[in-house]
Amino acid sequence: MTEVRALVLTGFGLNCDWETAHVLALAGARAERVHLNQLISKAKSLADYHILVIGGGFSWADEHGAGVILAMRLKYRLGEALLSFIEKGGLVLGICNGFQVLVNTGLLPGFETGRLSRQVALINNDCGRFRDQWVHCVFETASPCVFTRGLKAMDLPVRHGEGKFFAEPEVLERLESTHQVVLRYALADGRPAGGAFPENPNGSLHDIAGICDPTGRVLGLMPHPEAFHHWTNHPDWTWEKERCRRRGLPRPREGAGVQLFRNAVDYVRNQGAL
Amino acid sequence: MAVRLEIALKPHLFDAEGFELCRKIRDYFGWHVEEARVLRVIMLETGLSAEELEAVRTEIFTNPVSQVSSFQPLATAFDFQWAIWVGYRPGVRDTAGSVALEAIADYLRRPLSRHDAAYTSKVFLLQRCSLDRSQVETIARELLANDIIQQWRVFARHDWNPDEGIGIILPKVELRHTPTVETIAIESDEELKALSDARHLALNPQDIPVIRRYFLRPEVLRERALVGLNRPTDVELEAISQARSDHCNHNTFRGLFLYKDLDSGQETVVNNLFKTCIEAPTLALQAQKDWVVSVLWDNAGAARFDEDHLYVITGETHNSPSTMEAYGGALTGIVGVYRDPMGTGKGSRLIAGLYGYCVGPRAYAGPLRPHLHPRRLLDGVVEGVRDGGNKHGVPTVFGNLFHHPSYLGKCLVFVAAIGLMPRTIGGEPSEHKKPNPGDIIIMAGGRVGKDGIHGVTASSESYSEHTPAGHVQIGDPYTQKKMHDFLLEARDEGLITFITDNGGGGLSSSIGESAHLAGGARVALDRVPLKYEGLDVWEIWVSESQERMTVAVRPENLDRFMELAALHEVECTAIGHYEATGKLHLTYHGKTCAYLDLSFFREDFPQWQFEAHWRSPTSRGLTEPVMSEPTAYGRILTELLGSPNLCSREWIHRQYDHEVQGTSVIKFLVGRRRDVPNDAAVLRPVLTSRRGLAVTQALHPTYGQIDTYHMVEASIDECVRRLLAVGGLLDEMGGVDNFCWPSIQYDSKQNPDGRYKAAQLVRANWALRDMCLAYGIPLLSGKDSMYVDGHLPGLYGERHKVSGLPTMLFTATSIVEDIEQCLTMDLKMPEDWVYVLGTTRHELGGSEYYEKFGYVGLSVPKADPEKFIPLYRAVEAAVRKGLLASCRAVGRGGLAVHGALMAIAGELGMDWDLDAVPVEGHLSTATVLFSESLGRFLVTVAPEHREAFESHFRGFPLGCLGKVCERPVWTVRDASGRVVLEEPVEALGKAWRFEGAAGPLGEW
Repeated sequence: MTEVRALVLTGFGLNCDWETAHVLALAGARAERVHLNQLISKAKSLADYHILVIGGGFSWADEHGAGVILAMRLKYRLGEALLSFIEKGGLVLGICNGFQVLVNTGLLPGFETGRLSRQVALINNDCGRFRDQWVHCVFETASPCVFTRGLKAMDLPVRHGEGKFFAEPEVLERLESTHQVVLRYALADGRPAGGAFPENPNGSLHDIAGICDPTGRVLGLMPHPEAFHHWTNHPDWTWEKERCRRRGLPRPREGAGVQLFRNAVDYVRNQGAL
Repeated sequence: MAVRLEIALKPHLFDAEGFELCRKIRDYFGWHVEEARVLRVIMLETGLSAEELEAVRTEIFTNPVSQVSSFQPLATAFDFQWAIWVGYRPGVRDTAGSVALEAIADYLRRPLSRHDAAYTSKVFLLQRCSLDRSQVETIARELLANDIIQQWRVFARHDWNPDEGIGIILPKVELRHTPTVETIAIESDEELKALSDARHLALNPQDIPVIRRYFLRPEVLRERALVGLNRPTDVELEAISQARSDHCNHNTFRGLFLYKDLDSGQETVVNNLFKTCIEAPTLALQAQKDWVVSVLWDNAGAARFDEDHLYVITGETHNSPSTMEAYGGALTGIVGVYRDPMGTGKGSRLIAGLYGYCVGPRAYAGPLRPHLHPRRLLDGVVEGVRDGGNKHGVPTVFGNLFHHPSYLGKCLVFVAAIGLMPRTIGGEPSEHKKPNPGDIIIMAGGRVGKDGIHGVTASSESYSEHTPAGHVQIGDPYTQKKMHDFLLEARDEGLITFITDNGGGGLSSSIGESAHLAGGARVALDRVPLKYEGLDVWEIWVSESQERMTVAVRPENLDRFMELAALHEVECTAIGHYEATGKLHLTYHGKTCAYLDLSFFREDFPQWQFEAHWRSPTSRGLTEPVMSEPTAYGRILTELLGSPNLCSREWIHRQYDHEVQGTSVIKFLVGRRRDVPNDAAVLRPVLTSRRGLAVTQALHPTYGQIDTYHMVEASIDECVRRLLAVGGLLDEMGGVDNFCWPSIQYDSKQNPDGRYKAAQLVRANWALRDMCLAYGIPLLSGKDSMYVDGHLPGLYGERHKVSGLPTMLFTATSIVEDIEQCLTMDLKMPEDWVYVLGTTRHELGGSEYYEKFGYVGLSVPKADPEKFIPLYRAVEAAVRKGLLASCRAVGRGGLAVHGALMAIAGELGMDWDLDAVPVEGHLSTATVLFSESLGRFLVTVAPEHREAFESHFRGFPLGCLGKVCERPVWTVRDASGRVVLEEPVEALGKAWRFEGAAGPLGEW
C-alpha cells in the first residue's frame, strides 16, 4: 500500500505539532512537520502531500485576532497552491488556531468554490477568558465531512480564548441547510448544549464547534482531537479503569480522537488518489 | 505621517472584554456600569500611502464579519459617558505593535523603514453609568492601567472632540544621548564607595578594597595600558557589580553564619549553606543514583527519564517585578524560567510549567497601601503566567496559591519549568556544553533596550514623556517560542557547542560566565542590535532585555546556523568570539572598554557574614491555645473548606492550557466535576512510551512561625507522599528548593530581628539537608531570593516595613514506570473501603484549624523519615500491585479536609468511624479531624482487594475508617459512636467552590 502523506504546519507560534504528527502516525499516515516558510520558499510543496493540518497554537501571538496574520500570509503567499491542493482532492484540517486560520482565509465555509471570502468569525469567548476544559461533542450524520464519517459523539478538550462561532443569520441558515455544521457542543445526554455554559464553553451560536466546506474535505474545529490520542488523556480515565476492572471489561487503549485522523487516512487510500 | 486606526466589534455583537470589565468594576469597587465596549487602537507612524493604509486597514486589521474600523474616532458613534484610553509608556514591549509592522511588511511585500513604528493601545467606553470623574480615574488607575508601564487619559462625553477623539499619542523612545564610556576614580575606598552609590552600582563595601587592589596592581596597569585603559571603566565596574550581586553569586547562601542557640548558649559556625546543605547531600546522592545526570552547575538540573531521554528541571522567582507590575512581572517570570531548560546542556524542549503565588489577603481592607492591591495583583500574576505559558505552547500542569498578610510587602511569584532532551546529540552526551576558543558568540532572539537595568529600584523615579520604563518588562512568548523551535533544530543539526540564556545580568552574565569555560572572550558591543539608539555601552552589556539566548557556534557552522535562523525569522547576530586569552575583552567601535582578567572574578572576595540567633518556640513564648472542644464540627469543616487557602482554585487553573503537547495523564484538577486538585500531575513526555513523569509542589510558611526546620520537613515529606499517591517511585525522586526569605542582615534600626531570620534560614537549610539525605532526594536545581520585604505607606504619611514569612517552595519529580498504574484522589465506587495509613498525633501548631481561631500554637507537625519510609515503600508496592482505587496524601486541614475533598471529587458519601484512626496518645475529636501530622495517606480499596490490602500493610499503622456509600452524605462517628459530622457532600462542595467571600473594596 502506498503511504499517505500528511503535512503538519509549524512556525510563528503554532504548537500542537508534535502530538498532531504522533496521532497521524497512529492513524497510519506518514506525518512531517513543515515550517510555513519552507512552503513559501518552495523548499517543500503542498502538492507532495495528501493531508494538510494547521494545528493549535498562537500564531503571531494571536495579535490582531486569532489566526488573522497567518491567514493573511497563507492567502497572499500560498493562496493558489492551497486552492489547487483542495481542488485536487487534498484534505485540510484546521484545529483551534488552525480553524481560526481557515475561517480568516475564507477556505471555510467556502460557499463558492475557488473564492476566498470571510463569512464567519471566531471571536472572544463569552466568558471573557481562555479556558481549558473537556466538552462533549456530537457529530452531524448528514454532514459531507470525510473526517467524521461514522462518528456520533466524543469527548474532547477545548483550549482557547477566541472560539465563539459567530455568523449572521443568513450564513448560519445556509450552513445548516448544506449540513456544513459538523459538530456541536452537547450535554451529557447528547442533546445540543443550547448555549448552556460550560457545556457550550464559549457561547458559540447554534453550539457550533466545527464546520466543513461543501466538499467535506476541509474541516475546522475548536476542540482538539489530537489531544485525545490515548485513553489516559481523558479526565475520567482512572475512574473508567476501576469500572472496567470490576466489570471484567478490557481497558480501552486508544483515545477517541484518533478515529478522526484514521478516517482522513482511509479516505485518501480509498480515493486511490495516491 | 502618523495616523490612528480604531477597531471595534460590530455594535450588535456581545463584547466579552467589556462585560468582563463591568464585572471587575463591580467586584473591585461595587460600582455599576451597565455596559462597556473596548476599542483597539493602532497608532501608525509610517511612510505608507493613503491607498496602502486603506488596504492594510481592510485586509489585515479588520475582520469584515465581526468588526468595524476607521481612521476617525469610532467612539463618537457609541453612546458613552466616559472613555478611558490606556497605552504603554515608551520602551515597553508592545508585541501587538511589532506584529502589526511584521504583517504590514508581509502584506506590502516590502521591508518597512527602520523609523516606521506601530503602537497599540485600547479605549474603554463606559456606557450607562453614573460615575464621576474621580471614580473613573480610580478605575483607570486601580484596574486598567499601571503607571509603571502604562499611561492613561480620561475623556468625559461632554468634552469629547468628535473629530480628534483621543488624539495621536506616539510613545516613542528618544534618548538623544551619545553613548560614552567613563572611567571611575579609585584613589580611595571611600571615593569608590561614593561613586558606586551615586551610580547605583550596589558594590558590596567588603568587595571595594579587593576591586581597588586589582586595578592598582602594576602588571594589571601595564597590560591595560597596552589596550589604552588605565582606571576602571563604568563598563567594567558594572560587569563586576553584576557578577558579584547576590542574585548571581548567592553570597547569602555562600556566607558564613555564626549560629547561636540562645537557650543553651551553644555556638555553631556554619560555613556556606549552599555547600553544606545543598551541594554535599546532592553529590553524595548522585554517587548512589545513576539517573542523576547533571546537577549544580547548569541553568537546570538533568536527570534520566529513560534510556534515550533526559528531563531537566529548574525553578525561579519573580517577586520584585511582579509586586510592581503583576501581569508583566509574572509573564516575564514564566517566559524567563522557560529559557533555563532551553539553555541547559545543548538545549532542551519545554514540556511543562508550574506556578506558585504567595499574596496578601484578597479582601485586604487595612490601612497599608501596597503599590497594587492583593486582589488586582493576584488577577495580574494569574493572567501573566497564563499568557506566557499558553502562548509558549507549554502545558502549565500544577500550581499553588497561598494567602498571608505578610506578603503585602512583597508578593512571591514562583515559576518552574521542565524540559526534555535526547540522551545524545550527534553521539555526544546532550548535557555537555562547552564553548571552544574560536567559537563565534551569537546573540539570538530579541534586541537590547534599557530593560531591567539596575532592577526595580528606579520605580519611584519620575518619568519624562519619552523615557523608557525600563525596569519593568513585559515578556514576549511569541518571539521566544519562535526562538525555541529554531534552537532545537539547530541543536539537532549539531550546530550548537554552547548555549545559555540572557536573564539576570544579560550579556554580562551569559558571556561573562561562559568565558570562564572557554578561557576568554572578546565582544564588540557596537554589534549588539538595539531597540533604540542612545544606550550607554555599559547598559548594552548589563541590560536584561528578555527573549535572548547566547549561543556558541563553530565558524564552519555559522552559515548554516544563520540560514536556519532566517527560516524561522529569528534575529541572530555574531557579536564576538571566545578566545584562550584569559581575558574578558569588550570593545565599542574598535576601542577597548573593558579588559578584565577572568581570574579576577575568582579572587578572594570576602565572604559575607551573618549573625544567627535562635530561640526555641517555647522560649519565644509560643504555647498551645487554651480552647475547649467544639461541638459544631460540621460548621468548622464547611468554613475551612471555603477559606482562602483551602477553597477551590479552579478559576485559576482553568485559564491555563494544561494539555497542549498531548502528554497529559493525570491532570491537576480531577473528580467528576474536574475541579479538585490532585496530589500531583503526571505527564507522558514521550508519546510512544508508557513511562511517565510525576511532578508536585508543597509549601508550609505558617509552620515556619514555629520552626522553619519543621516547615521544610513538612514540605518535603508532603511532596514525597504526593508523588507516591499518583504512582511515583521513591528511588527516583528529584527535588528543587526555592527559598524566598526576608533580609537576614542584622541592623538595629532597619532589621532588628535580622539575626532571628538568619537562624531561621540556617535551620531551614539543615532540614533540607537532613530530609534530602533521609529520603534520597538529590536537589536537581534550586534558587534563593532574599529581601522579601516591603516598606508600605500607612494612613499618616508613615511607612511600615512588612517582611514576608520565610518561605520555601519544594518541587519534586518522580518517574512513573507505567502510566496505566497511576491513581487519582477521587472516591471511585460505593462499597469501597476507606483506610487511613500512618499515625495521627496532636500536631495542630500552624494548622488551618488554629489559624481559623487566630492561634499559631506550638505543636508543629514533625517528620520521622525512619518510621515513615517503610510505610512509603509499602504504598509504592501497593500501587504497583493495583490494590488501591484512590490515594490522597493528607496535608493542610487534616483528615477532615482531605476526606471531604475526596468525597467532593467523587460525588459519593462515606461512613467513617474515627475510633479506627491510629493515634499517638489520647486525642480529642477535633485533633483527629484537623491535626496536620505528616506521614499519612487516605486510600480507598475495592471490596475484592480488602484482604490482600490488609495483609500487604500488616504491621503498619492502619485504620479502616468505613465505607464509601452511594448516598452523597459524609457521616463521621467518634469513639462513643456519636455522630460528630453529617454533611451532604453537595453542601461541602458548595462551600469549597465559593470563590473568596471578598466583597467589593470601594475606593480602597
